Amino acid sequence: MSAPVTIRPSADAAVVKGGPTRSESLTSLMPVLALVSLVIALAAAKPGFLSQPSMTAVVDAAAPLAVLAAGATIAVLCGGIDLSIAALASLSSVLLALWLPTLGGLASVAVVGVAAAAGALQGAAHVFLRIPSFIVTLGGMSLFSSIALVISGAAPVPVTDDGPIRWGFTRIFDVVPSAAVVAVVVVAVLAVLIKATPLGSWITATGYSEPAARLAGIPVDPLKIGAFCVSGACAGLAGVLLVARTFSGGPTMADSLLLPAIAAIVVGGTAITGGHGGLWRTLVGALVVTLLRVGLSVVGVSAAYESILYGALIVAAVALTLDRSKVMVVK
Amino acid sequence: MSAEGVIAQRSPSVVLEVRGLVKAYPGVKALNGVDLEVRQNEVLGLAGENGAGKSTLLKTLVGLVRPDAGEIYVRGQRVRLRNVVDAANHGIGMVFQEQSLVPNLTAAENIVLGCEGPAIRRGFYRWATMRALAQEQLDKIGSTIDPLARTDSLTFAERQMVEIAKVLRIEQRTHNSPVIILDEPTSVLEPSEIETLFEQVRRLREFASVIFVSHRLDEVLDVCDRVYVLRGGQSVGEVRPADAVAGELHRMMIGSESHEDHYHGSAVTRDETPRERLTVRGLAGATFRDVDLDVRAGEIVAVVGVHGSGREELCKALFGAVATTAGEVTLDGERLDLTGPRAACAAGVGYVPAERKVEGMVGPMSVADNMTLAKQRVRCAGPVIVPKRQSDIVDKWISRLSIRTPGRRTAIQRLSGGNQQKVILARWLVGGDVRLLLLDHPTRGLDVGARSEVYRLMRELAGTGVATLLLADSLEEAIGMADRVVVMSDGRIVAEVPCPPDRKPSPLDLVKEMV
Repeated sequence: MSAPVTIRPSADAAVVKGGPTRSESLTSLMPVLALVSLVIALAAAKPGFLSQPSMTAVVDAAAPLAVLAAGATIAVLCGGIDLSIAALASLSSVLLALWLPTLGGLASVAVVGVAAAAGALQGAAHVFLRIPSFIVTLGGMSLFSSIALVISGAAPVPVTDDGPIRWGFTRIFDVVPSAAVVAVVVVAVLAVLIKATPLGSWITATGYSEPAARLAGIPVDPLKIGAFCVSGACAGLAGVLLVARTFSGGPTMADSLLLPAIAAIVVGGTAITGGHGGLWRTLVGALVVTLLRVGLSVVGVSAAYESILYGALIVAAVALTLDRSKVMVVK
Repeated sequence: MSAEGVIAQRSPSVVLEVRGLVKAYPGVKALNGVDLEVRQNEVLGLAGENGAGKSTLLKTLVGLVRPDAGEIYVRGQRVRLRNVVDAANHGIGMVFQEQSLVPNLTAAENIVLGCEGPAIRRGFYRWATMRALAQEQLDKIGSTIDPLARTDSLTFAERQMVEIAKVLRIEQRTHNSPVIILDEPTSVLEPSEIETLFEQVRRLREFASVIFVSHRLDEVLDVCDRVYVLRGGQSVGEVRPADAVAGELHRMMIGSESHEDHYHGSAVTRDETPRERLTVRGLAGATFRDVDLDVRAGEIVAVVGVHGSGREELCKALFGAVATTAGEVTLDGERLDLTGPRAACAAGVGYVPAERKVEGMVGPMSVADNMTLAKQRVRCAGPVIVPKRQSDIVDKWISRLSIRTPGRRTAIQRLSGGNQQKVILARWLVGGDVRLLLLDHPTRGLDVGARSEVYRLMRELAGTGVATLLLADSLEEAIGMADRVVVMSDGRIVAEVPCPPDRKPSPLDLVKEMV
């Protein structure tokens, strides 16, 4: 039944200005500005930086991080967080190294599938047991780490024949790292999926105001489980990329990527409280984080200081992007 | 202290004075030049409908809201109140409607909390001193509550007494008689408890001034020495209960012009033989039971009841948003699936929640995204959004409902409240399949103009055969809009009052059934 309704306007309600405010557009441009100024600064500090080999190296180094962070971005957009990604990527690397001899090319697919299932399981625990995703994935992090240690015998698992996964670490036309292409494809596929279908507004609504999303009939629970599933799958893929470049799987191989991945998400400008942000932003964030790490070594700072950088970066980025008007009590 | 020096010497009996207070929120002026005088040892009543500006005014007086313009004088001195502590330093304290005690502390701890004084020495609680301090406060109001009882073991009425005792501690700061604000203190009390509270208020009057706010007119007239009536953010009159009757107060609260728009007249053309659309049989949930209800196509049925009557939960239950334990609901003869909002949406049920900003809109999302949130298929081909379809349907409804927005891409939070509400209503209309609308306080927080637009929209929808269940903001709204009013009390439907355009019952008829 249609409702042919027309309403005369009331006299009130001054017309409001459209579009984002100046401070909003500045905030959303910030990650790109940061990226550009970092490149300029590094080029000034180290003249050879803008050369093709060093750019290739940077992009290559950023790729696994970008894949890892891209998946977790979806979980963050839905209003949750996935702390298990790095541990799951480590576990995936071990699984891949163990399965490659028997499964060959299918091993990568199997690993990504298992990681996706692990993510979905965490999502289901979060949704159905009503446990905060922070806690579920913290538990998952510990669980996955332990499984990785047990099945690997707490030692790296070498890969003897890396043929089936060589696609993860080659240079296309001798210039473009294949891992970077994988990262861009992952980000692009997820971004298009979100942009071109109702998923985007479902995710935004769920992340920004879950009660409103539920009352609009959005399938919030499956959506969240799906988000953690994607997050897990991306962690698995990141694990595959890491094995491809190190010729081994290691039970703690990706563990150091957790902080950089969270940093990439928030530096990109995705709100840690959910609802606002995007995949391309995380890609930019991953590049910023990688460049900062490169920058530290250029300036001659020991890698031992890296974690200080990530910690400070996360706090500073959240401080800049957090919409405090929405958060009544900061816990 | 933040006194700005003596500006003017006021009459000595005036403790608190407010001049020309203005506070605007996007789209609505909550306060529009309020003047107010509180005298020594009097109980001052504040009456007004929802949205009249009562809560904003109170929040201004305790420093929770900063006014855009206007002055506040305490004993003739102009003051700026930046926060609750500022207000307390000037002797103004408030007992909040939604209580502000920490449940897992004892009554004594709550009473001294934030202003411990001698109850803390070298960073440690001195329990004996604290208990004595608390006892002293409780004695002031003649309460027999054990100061060492845990707050969550007390009843609501007892907790209210603890709050009053706590607020009275501001006496120690000012050495003057304080101003105590009671915001809707009776809304969840039993009749016997209300009597106790009134005695308390009269006792407070001996050494303090009280501002008493309630939407129950009989109470205001019963306990207050003077009553200010607020309407549209202005004080429109002052009444002495001795020479006022509830009816007069009511007329002032509502204003003379507002009635006309509520009433149908002949605006609605209807099916000659209206069909039963919604039938509810024996529905029960956590806060309601044995609910039988019918709504015909094209009919507007209002459900009225006091706080705790279960009507909000019933409304949500029909949308599948709260669980039911028994009962059968059919829509056009088919069983309605109450397992969740998603099923209800699919069945052609629409729900406009009371908390628009939290449960209705997604603030930073665009008008278009908000409007199509529940009926994605109207903008999609398969799973993919087609921009052309989206812009067509969204623009159509923007113009049909006269939604004032710079465009469909504007974030909904930039619109005024009335326009936000129209987008939320459009969310259920875009699909063209809505059969039952559940409207939970659809005009809450809207100004007069926006409200009458929502009324008109509701009526036109009813004219197209949509069945509407309305939880109105006020009895007048319920009576004016509805064809039938259903009264709920303690989770049951206790009365049904027909409301045809030519024979509208009076609010008092309904109040009789509600209590």
